[in-house]
Amino acid sequence: MPHRLEIALKPELFGAEGEGIKKKARAYFHIRAESVRIVNIVTIDKDLDPAQLEAVRNEIFTNPVTQVSSFKPLDLGFDWCIWVGYRPGVKDNPGHTAIEAIEDVLGISFDPEEGVYTSRRYCIRGEGLNRQDSETIAKELLANDIIQQTRIFSPDQWDPETGTGIIIPKVRLDHTPTVATISIESDRMLQQISDARNLALNPNDIPVIRRYFLEPEVLAERKAVGLDDPTDVELEYICQARSDHCNHNTFRGKFYYSDPAAGISRTIDSLFKTFIEAPTLRLKAEKDWVISVLWDNAGVGRFDENHNYVITGETHNSPSNMEAYGGAITGIVGVYRDPLGTGKGSRLIMGSYGFCVGNRDYNGELKPRLHPRRLLDGVIEGVRDGGNKSGIPTSFGQVTFHHGYMGKCLVFVTALGMMPSGVAGTPAEQKTTTPGDLILMCGGRVGKDGIHGVTASSEIFTEHTPAGHVQIGDPYTQKKMHDFLLEARDLGLIQFITDNGGGGLSSSVGESARFSGGCEVWLDRVPLKYAGLDQWEIWVSESQERMTVAVRPEDVERFLELSEKHAVESTVIGKYTDSGKLYITYEGETCAYVNMDFLARGFPQWEFEAVWIPPEMRGLCEPAMGEPADYGTLLKDMLARPNICSRQWIIRQYDHEVQGTSVIKPLVGKDRDVNSDACVIRPVLTSERGLGFSQALLPFYSQIDAYYMTSGTIDEAVRRLVAVGGDPGHIGGVDNFCWPSIQYDPEKNPDGKFKAAQLVRSCMALSDACLAFGIPLLSGKDSMYVDGHLPGKYGETHKLSALETMQFSATGVIEDINRCVTMDFKLPGDLIYVIGQTDDELGASEYYDMFGYIGLNIARPEPEKLLPMYRSLHTAVCRHLVSSMHGIYRGGLGVHLALCAIGGGLGLSAELDRVPVRTCLRADHVLFSESAGRFIVSVAPENRAEFESLLAKHPLACIGEIRKDGIFEILSGDRTIISLKTAELKAAWKAPFGGLI
Amino acid sequence: MVLQNKKNRVKALVLTGYGLNCDVETAHACGLAGASARCVHINDVISGAVSLKEFQIMIFIGGFSWADDHGAGVIQAVRMRKNAGDKILDFIYRGNLVLGICNGFQTLVNIGLLPGLEGDYTGRTVALTHNDCGNFRDDWVHLQINKDSPCVFTKGLKHMELPVRHGEGKFIAHDSVINRLVTENQVVCRYAVSDGLPAEGRFPENPNGSLLDIAGICDPTGRVFGLMPHPEAFNHPSNHPDRPRFNVLTGRGRISGDSFPATGISIFENAVRFFQ
Repeated sequence: MPHRLEIALKPELFGAEGEGIKKKARAYFHIRAESVRIVNIVTIDKDLDPAQLEAVRNEIFTNPVTQVSSFKPLDLGFDWCIWVGYRPGVKDNPGHTAIEAIEDVLGISFDPEEGVYTSRRYCIRGEGLNRQDSETIAKELLANDIIQQTRIFSPDQWDPETGTGIIIPKVRLDHTPTVATISIESDRMLQQISDARNLALNPNDIPVIRRYFLEPEVLAERKAVGLDDPTDVELEYICQARSDHCNHNTFRGKFYYSDPAAGISRTIDSLFKTFIEAPTLRLKAEKDWVISVLWDNAGVGRFDENHNYVITGETHNSPSNMEAYGGAITGIVGVYRDPLGTGKGSRLIMGSYGFCVGNRDYNGELKPRLHPRRLLDGVIEGVRDGGNKSGIPTSFGQVTFHHGYMGKCLVFVTALGMMPSGVAGTPAEQKTTTPGDLILMCGGRVGKDGIHGVTASSEIFTEHTPAGHVQIGDPYTQKKMHDFLLEARDLGLIQFITDNGGGGLSSSVGESARFSGGCEVWLDRVPLKYAGLDQWEIWVSESQERMTVAVRPEDVERFLELSEKHAVESTVIGKYTDSGKLYITYEGETCAYVNMDFLARGFPQWEFEAVWIPPEMRGLCEPAMGEPADYGTLLKDMLARPNICSRQWIIRQYDHEVQGTSVIKPLVGKDRDVNSDACVIRPVLTSERGLGFSQALLPFYSQIDAYYMTSGTIDEAVRRLVAVGGDPGHIGGVDNFCWPSIQYDPEKNPDGKFKAAQLVRSCMALSDACLAFGIPLLSGKDSMYVDGHLPGKYGETHKLSALETMQFSATGVIEDINRCVTMDFKLPGDLIYVIGQTDDELGASEYYDMFGYIGLNIARPEPEKLLPMYRSLHTAVCRHLVSSMHGIYRGGLGVHLALCAIGGGLGLSAELDRVPVRTCLRADHVLFSESAGRFIVSVAPENRAEFESLLAKHPLACIGEIRKDGIFEILSGDRTIISLKTAELKAAWKAPFGGLI
Repeated sequence: MVLQNKKNRVKALVLTGYGLNCDVETAHACGLAGASARCVHINDVISGAVSLKEFQIMIFIGGFSWADDHGAGVIQAVRMRKNAGDKILDFIYRGNLVLGICNGFQTLVNIGLLPGLEGDYTGRTVALTHNDCGNFRDDWVHLQINKDSPCVFTKGLKHMELPVRHGEGKFIAHDSVINRLVTENQVVCRYAVSDGLPAEGRFPENPNGSLLDIAGICDPTGRVFGLMPHPEAFNHPSNHPDRPRFNVLTGRGRISGDSFPATGISIFENAVRFFQ
């Protein structure tokens, strides 16, 4: 008989979480609750005797100091009670740890049929609250119906004896696993099956697949192993491998690019090969610190003679858009498996995040699945739990608000790792599978979760997208696996390792078997969460927290022993061969037999028409706008803009100190509350070397030209690194493209050709800027289809496409962390320099956006001219000539001077007329232009001569000095256009989100 | 730094596994303090594969053991008490030192090793519960150290700055227990404002709403110590958030080099010194 234990905080204690819900209900929905008390429910589906029940109640689930508990419903009293529990099959992490604890305390073990399920009920009191209010709280704050179920009780519906009743969300499939064969009689029939089974096959691939399975030689070989028509396992495997997510068909596609206005047309055979691979290979040849790029789960650079660092970046957009918390935690925990699966395995040392969401206060008629405010809350919490519980510092991040992200949000997650340069006498970055090696699956078990994730992320979100690919990451299981695998690595037990992400085993085994030239997989050996999965489901499930490892037969016993010590499940599921075949069996019956080289041959390249229309021809022009008079209020309003203002509340939720490596933190300054340009960690604790990291994202510029969006973003990432003391001579990059659909369709995507041209131009800029700055692309990913169809007021739908977005992450080794600088002004009397040229470049700027303009004149960085300047600045840092250094980014000089002053808690006097400009500019243009390649640097008066001579060849001017009295004063000509207390600017900058913790 | 020859070095056991995560820096901190540290998996302590008898210092480290799913440190405490409780008690009775940091502190409190009133190391009388601010919080705090405390780890220290990083750090207990802890000087460190006076509950100086600003307590012997802030995360001057500012100001002769706060390593050094 199942038992339901209810646990609550003692009534006299303050319940912070309940208080938080109360606050949100009021702030978001104007619902006034007097109190919200939470009851945690643990439902134990196992026979236990009264003594056992008391033991687990007292020893595990009840803190005698803070909690009360009972196997009968607790009498908390409420006006409304909302129960929230998981749907069957959704990962219940606390339920799993509860099983571990109960087994430990009672010395018993749970059968596969038994389990523990956690849920909660919220007891809400409040005069005048009605059912609709509690439904709003349930639906909009407490639960997401994709993963959770809710029940609402009024006091007269509540039976004090039975309470919520016993609810067991157990998965019961009652299904005998069967392999189906699929008829390939005609292209049309295969297309129909693809649609019916949600395979998302590209119509152009269908004839190739059919041709293969009809080849006489293939037919004969298949017959020998008992196969005829292709099986569902085989087709699912092919679909996974051919999906845009796994195969990057867009980036490997053929682009017919034309710019009719300029009379240019050009065919590009693979954006990846042309603009990513080619420049990176060229730079790898020049830079000996580039250890491994373009093939593994992450790129590898040299940190010092004994260590290499590892970096990669991912996005997790579609799942986060549907279930923000689950999507984001799965995203960050998932990206952490990439370094773990790079070379023979790397220890995780840092993570970062980038969130792009709709406007937080959106109150229009469109109905996104999750309101941007709720979505942002969820993704913040997901990355928080995923990062913090993994024990990896989340040291940097950013949030960008724009209406376009309401169609689909973006969740960027970046991971850095560290490997020794050698493992058991071999280079740690190398790995291979050899015939005879065994295939092991480590970590979590396989369930129905995550099936068709990669194919779903290769589609545009509609209300019919299956929810099955939404998961909840489990950092606890993964952390145990991480510790285990690194110990196994150091003992030399790992020959090859890769993660199970998109495509699951299908992808990890399929790809690792290419090295040995074949494999045999025994699918019946794969441990399952529950019985009844079909063979193809086991093969493609994306259940999280799993790695695939190649182990030599002679090492397997030791590997499994170590695995057991770490309480990690590892299972031999097959072996690598050199048969040239992917050979899968289930209980001895063949369910797949495919030539390993099939995927590499004969599939047609995707093709795109890309037509560029220059901004002038799209009707863009500079606004006819007169000069403002009230600059003080203007600056304060600029500082309070959502994309400029303080987001301290997010940063403080993230552990950026764990591992004890933190040097330059995400928040700096006298009061430790202003955003740093970049972060620096000291990943090898015995060394004074550092690793700097920055990232940038400027999607607004795509409104004019994605070429300059891209070069501007890269320039910003580089400057951010240089600003903390990074060496411009050693920078590795990671590109993460998130693009709306570029496949032209006259009805569904009428501007597809233009968006394709934007992608081509963005890739051109990526290549140009990386070559000019000397940045090899250590890693990169693309996520297409950032569009959504949102219902409107009348039931009509609107396609909303995100801005063409590329996040760029930059990392580099810092020789001596004691030289690092921060952006905050340090001492009154120090001279303030602006370095770099300011021009009439306000196109798509924050300033224009404030007035609803886009403009035309976009910032156009010239990396080859900027790099020497960055080098000179780096020399100045190395000679300790610089007291503070800060790049001028979004919002321009005015905003960033203010941030330097806010960071130092000091004032300044500055004259705009001294700022180096290309042509004569109006004061508001000097203050808010977003020209690239600029810095604000403060320098001690005694260092003036040396600093100026070092930068003599570059645009540079001393525009004023730092003031002790905290007055922020800007002069234009002989007019004082701003005179405010820095404290007032700070208050304005903090106001929008200042109440959030 | 405490210098010793290698052979006689004090040995520290750093407990790892099951989601714990400060192993590398805690072991490093021990090393800087002159101890020889070994990271040992919880299951190796339980199985006896590694004997506590080899060690003088046992450290329960930070992290999220069992994901903190049923209360921070609860399941780790259950497992250790049930499977290694006698070994740990024996370890303490032999005059050795136990340190619990963050999740380790939460675990010591749930095992009952803290506060250990009247030498009873089995009852749960204090708790570390959800922060009043309602969220996980990462920030640096000032600590006022009780010089009258018997705590071995804080001898000679008056004031420290360390990072906190937790969601469940609010120290609560019945008034009578708190009074007892105060009179016995078992309250070792309290959250403070920058001039060293107690924060008196003010956020964010007191980051979690702990009663009496309590950040760390010890047992009556002073040999078992638990605290929420992370001394091991201040293992190098560059960890301190004011370091870049300090570098500029000292470089310009505005302040003297000695005024920079002592790192968290002094806590480990005190532990090593105890055995000399």
